[in-house]
Amino acid sequence: MKHGSFPNASGEVLVERWLHHAAARPDDEALVHWVAGEERFAWTWKELLRAAAGFVRTLRQHGVGRGDVCALIIRHHRDFYPLYIAVAALGALPAVLAYPNPRLHPDKFRQGLAGMAQRSGLDWVLTEQSLDDMVRPLSLAAHSTVKGILYPLEWRREAGTATLNDLRDASITPDDPCLLQHSSGTTGLQKPVMLTHRNVLEHLDRYGRAIALTSADKVVSWLPLYHDMGLIAAFHLSLGLGVPLVQMDPFEWVQAPALFIEALAREGGTISWLPNFAYNFMADRIRDLDPECHGMRLDQVRLLINCSEPVRADSHEKFASRLAAMGLKRGALATCYAMAETTFAVTQSTPGVEPVQVEADRNNLALGFYQPAASVPESRTCLSSGRLIPGCELKIVNAKGKELPDGAIGEMLIRSVSMFEGYRNNPEQTSTVLKDGWYHSGDYGFRLDGEHFVIGRKKDLIIVAGKNLYPEDIEDAIAAVPGVIAGRIVAFGIDNAATGTEEIGVVAETIEKDPAGIKALRLAIMQAAMRIDVTVTRVYLAPPRWLVKSSSGKPSRPVNRQRALTELQTNGGPSL
Amino acid sequence: MISDQLKRVITTELNLEDYQLTDATTAPEVPGWDSLSHVRILCAVEKEFKVRFGNLEIIRLKSVGDLQTLVNRKVSPGT
Repeated sequence: MKHGSFPNASGEVLVERWLHHAAARPDDEALVHWVAGEERFAWTWKELLRAAAGFVRTLRQHGVGRGDVCALIIRHHRDFYPLYIAVAALGALPAVLAYPNPRLHPDKFRQGLAGMAQRSGLDWVLTEQSLDDMVRPLSLAAHSTVKGILYPLEWRREAGTATLNDLRDASITPDDPCLLQHSSGTTGLQKPVMLTHRNVLEHLDRYGRAIALTSADKVVSWLPLYHDMGLIAAFHLSLGLGVPLVQMDPFEWVQAPALFIEALAREGGTISWLPNFAYNFMADRIRDLDPECHGMRLDQVRLLINCSEPVRADSHEKFASRLAAMGLKRGALATCYAMAETTFAVTQSTPGVEPVQVEADRNNLALGFYQPAASVPESRTCLSSGRLIPGCELKIVNAKGKELPDGAIGEMLIRSVSMFEGYRNNPEQTSTVLKDGWYHSGDYGFRLDGEHFVIGRKKDLIIVAGKNLYPEDIEDAIAAVPGVIAGRIVAFGIDNAATGTEEIGVVAETIEKDPAGIKALRLAIMQAAMRIDVTVTRVYLAPPRWLVKSSSGKPSRPVNRQRALTELQTNGGPSL
Repeated sequence: MISDQLKRVITTELNLEDYQLTDATTAPEVPGWDSLSHVRILCAVEKEFKVRFGNLEIIRLKSVGDLQTLVNRKVSPGT
């Protein structure tokens, strides 16, 4: 394995950093755009920034300027990267949004975008011509903030005359906002996290040191760039610290997950970030005896960092066993605890060392504190998400806000030099999570000798394959299904050890009793969720007044979740 | 034409009692057939027909009809 030193880069705003790399090593590869079955396409630093300079000129001509929020909705494309750089260089705010999945109903996509435009104050939508029908109504809507919809992939770039000086703007300061990241969710509830140049660059430098990044590293990622792990950990970290990035297409990876191993091996990748489900998903699909895997080696892989959903020791075990024959070292499996609100990472396991694992007594965990398990049936394996990275503080508090000692379970509060500036245009929501400089994560966990263990959540949030989903969105989508009693639906997550993530269960009350009607209703509920790109795997239909209400008068999610799961185990589900 | 054997594998994996699958059916139309279950379905089809699909073959699948054609080709390579 090559040895290198910590990447050296100067510049207090993003574009200065990128220009520094372009000047220091113009012909080195900055970014490889990877497409299955095609020849690799590599951007050198010089060509990447020259292409960006071309985009800057055309964006300016269209009127895009300083402070404008630019939604980028573009599927895996080699010109995405210079376009993103160009938007940032203009002092505008790039906001990468998810490319619509074919399952998502066009109306739902539009509604989500309209809601986002209202909350984030979108100024421009930079997208593909093929999405025109879906996006165009946005700019025509009354009170729309959207100034225009642009199709940059259709432009003939002026790269011939553009120079890197087109990217420079001395008036941009480190405390100016540099990007907007939308938290996950389906339609109506995404929160725009605003970050400054200082937030991002200070975080990259600190996090780079925490993972012992060197100039010999190479990042390989299939993660979508609308997700904080894809955008900050893979994309910005690579560009900011001048480490090459191999970017794959998330749509291709999810269809054929073994492609990641192929890219990692062929490109000599050393680092990647993965949500927990991906370990199970890939282990289930990869066969080291497949001709496609023949001769592939993973000895060079230094870190595969598990983050974005609860980390599981059994997922690591499954993955490590499957790939050991290809040379994957166990010490390469790492963990991290991160969130968009702190730019990205808060904790990280020690590079090269398997994350700390403890066997906790389940009953005591339920009572609010960690104690080693006396026997296997009573134990729950807890995998540490690592130690604090420099610049971050974390305290664990009880419901009254009192700080708790090691081993006690409470909400995890974080303070970081890379703390976000708030949710854009939403001071109320910001003030509910950001109090006295501490971010209230809503995650529950405990600390032991400096190691952090996340074991649950305060909110009813469901995390499926690294994607945060709000039960309200799912319940709203299902409420419109004829036959379901209005307001009498609860959606919740169900832990699935086999897939390494959560699946979604729904209990809905109905007066339907006819078996054919029940079957049709169950299908209709699954289809209603599909229209917002959510897969409901378990539908429990219950008679009227089955759901237990909470003190607020609404059906309680935790209570009904438990009741439905218990009834399912004992007699196959609620009886109609 | 989708064989009963392929239909059975898909509907069993998706826990659907029955669902009309035609050559033109695409995954997003079928309840429960999302990106995560897609790989599970393909693994089940491979197991049922004792075949193995390559990454590029999988990426090129656009419909259930394409999957049937791929299975047929793998099972009887000369046809």
